[in-house]
Amino acid sequence: MNPTETTTERTTIEKEQPPEMTPRPSTIRMVLTLLIPALILGVIALTVSSNGDTILTGFGHNPPAADELVVERVEFHPGKIELHVINPQTDAIAPAIVLVDSAMVNSFTVNGDVHVGGSHAIGSHDRSTLSFDYPWIEDDPYLISIVSTSGVPTEVEVPAAVPAQKLSTKSFGWGAVLGILVGFVPVALGLLWLPALRHLSQNALAGFLAFTAGLLLFLAIEAGAEGLEMQSALIPAFGGAGVVAMGIVVSMAALALTGRLLRKGAETGARRSGAATAALSGTALAWLVAIGIGLHNLGEGLAIGSSFASGASSLAISLVIGFMIHNVTEGIGIAAPIARSGDRLGIARGVALAAIAGLPAVLGIWAGRHIADPLFATLCFALAAGAALQVVIEIVRSLRNGEVGLGATSVQVGFAAGVLAMWATGILAG
Amino acid sequence: MSKFSKQWLISFAVSGVIMAIAALAISWVVSADDSTVHASGHGTGKSKQHNAEMATAMVGEDVSAPGKETDTDYLLNLPPATPYSAGRVREFTLIAGEHEIEIATGLKFAAWTLTQPGDRPSVPGPVLRVTEGDLVRITLVNRSSQPHTLHTHGIHPAKQDGVLEMIQPGEEFTYEFIAGPSGVQPYHCHAMPLKKHIGKGLYGTLIIDPKTPPKPADREMAMIMNSYDTNFDGENEVYTVNGRAFFYAKYPIKVKRGELNRIYLANMTENDPLNSFHTHGNFFEYRPIGFLNPPQKTDIVTQIQGDRGIIDIRFPETGLYMFHAHQTEFGDLGWMGFFEVIA
Repeated sequence: MNPTETTTERTTIEKEQPPEMTPRPSTIRMVLTLLIPALILGVIALTVSSNGDTILTGFGHNPPAADELVVERVEFHPGKIELHVINPQTDAIAPAIVLVDSAMVNSFTVNGDVHVGGSHAIGSHDRSTLSFDYPWIEDDPYLISIVSTSGVPTEVEVPAAVPAQKLSTKSFGWGAVLGILVGFVPVALGLLWLPALRHLSQNALAGFLAFTAGLLLFLAIEAGAEGLEMQSALIPAFGGAGVVAMGIVVSMAALALTGRLLRKGAETGARRSGAATAALSGTALAWLVAIGIGLHNLGEGLAIGSSFASGASSLAISLVIGFMIHNVTEGIGIAAPIARSGDRLGIARGVALAAIAGLPAVLGIWAGRHIADPLFATLCFALAAGAALQVVIEIVRSLRNGEVGLGATSVQVGFAAGVLAMWATGILAG
Repeated sequence: MSKFSKQWLISFAVSGVIMAIAALAISWVVSADDSTVHASGHGTGKSKQHNAEMATAMVGEDVSAPGKETDTDYLLNLPPATPYSAGRVREFTLIAGEHEIEIATGLKFAAWTLTQPGDRPSVPGPVLRVTEGDLVRITLVNRSSQPHTLHTHGIHPAKQDGVLEMIQPGEEFTYEFIAGPSGVQPYHCHAMPLKKHIGKGLYGTLIIDPKTPPKPADREMAMIMNSYDTNFDGENEVYTVNGRAFFYAKYPIKVKRGELNRIYLANMTENDPLNSFHTHGNFFEYRPIGFLNPPQKTDIVTQIQGDRGIIDIRFPETGLYMFHAHQTEFGDLGWMGFFEVIA
């Protein structure tokens, strides 16, 4: 580059800039200043990685790799057991032998290839499927151990061998029936109380809305705890508790945005009809409640589906009925804001609300029964927690702007009753 | 007010009816599912087995076992006994080293080994064979990173017992004793912690033949029952005879019909108090320790760690005869093999 040229250029630019404004840097210089730290980082990273041994051995002795896999799923097929594993560490792991109930399995395949003496290494963070013939017995517990070539066993306990269900229209159909029964039906039933709720006083209605907030807070805490429990099954690279925080923040933001859009719609409507106030209408709030409850039911379905698939707990019919009664409360939660505002609710809208709140249970049951991915499950619970929290915020805002206010006894009693009702009906759902 | 209660009642009634229908539907779904399970079961009781090909015992090339057929020949083809000769000196060298060995297919074990110069490191160590009355000199050369000793069973002075003086890495020491009494006298390291040093593989068989030769055998072999705790949690992952899981299931030991086979059997299993040796379709003569004891007729022998004895077995018919630990878990984890009796 010619140095004189650059100087002239710079002087011209400086002349053109008004003195009171900060000089606007040229695009090249901006790109350079952006690139320089990245370049320096690259150089440092290269230097460090080529001298890694010196640095680490100077620091201390590195222990050998843990060589333990994470078993995400055990599937029982006719005459065959399939292990779905992931390698959580940065070094590869080669499985050498597989033990079932302290007996060596003669041979197994890795991703369908016949495995010979540690021949198939599983790369860092890679997923693999180990499969072998085994005369397993339905409902029996199994202790399966995958021993790496370095002699480290990865053990997985199966509480009861449950036949893997193939993706079939039959299993999807019955999954849907279960999901509709525990999700859609009770929410729809709860909504049917809407005509009755309409006859209550404003004070009582505010109490019912607070009841909704209480039950959602209960669900938020429950889902958050469930998400935190789920994340412990994740391999460290996929995040931990941070995934739960991420899910909560994302769904809160998404719900807040949805609320803003609904409010904007309401404002436009209010301006057209010449009304003075532009609060979030009862129906709009009901939509948000339905979304929050829907995400919760997605998690609930996931839990039902996956515990059924893994043989962790049996799906007793009393539990299913418990879930139904538990979820009827959620229908009341959706009805409360509509009853309070006096909005009209047609059958189509009512069904749509019940569908948003209840049908995700179907999706959850399907996913839990057939996918059972811990990352997916963790995110679902985190999203549910965030959504429920955001709706609690919206309800509190709506109550504060209402004529009864937040301080009314009915509101406080309703809030406590919401939490208590969820707890009490939760006992029925095991 | 009347309108209010009427609507309320209708809501309740409708809810109740839908709930009842839902409950009925669920019980129907579940009972339908139950009936499919029972209908497709084998009709004998509640359990439903999902059979696989592996329900029979495995033998031959399809068995997963480490190494080549000749890998345990040092134990299956023993050096012959040397007739007694007064004042004879027998010298051996054992090198203590650290080597990775394959104990089950693909499964590597960071073993501590005792090896004769020029031999491939292995667990168990080599068979040293002397005759009662020989002056035995065994030099232990320690080429490992840990102090070791060599302790032999038998009768010898305290200084030759390999318990109090540690042979440090890089050092060597010659143990000297007059061989006796006759029998199978295992040797092993006796450094502390003993469980670690034996669990890692520092053992082998010393055979002291009696001055008066016993009835000669057509075939002589040594067998050591052992185990490996690959993650040192106090529980074994693998059990074997002669160091390799299912080795003799993959490569059955070929013996001739009618011939007398003599097996020098010892138990060096860690973590479990007992191990056992059981043959199928046959009985054998077992002498605890050796020919100084009377035989018993049996098809199963139980040995505590360090115990040993001599088995004399003859197969009257050809075919494949299983032998294994009669603790089924040990058998399932590698201690199982076959004799292939040929004409």
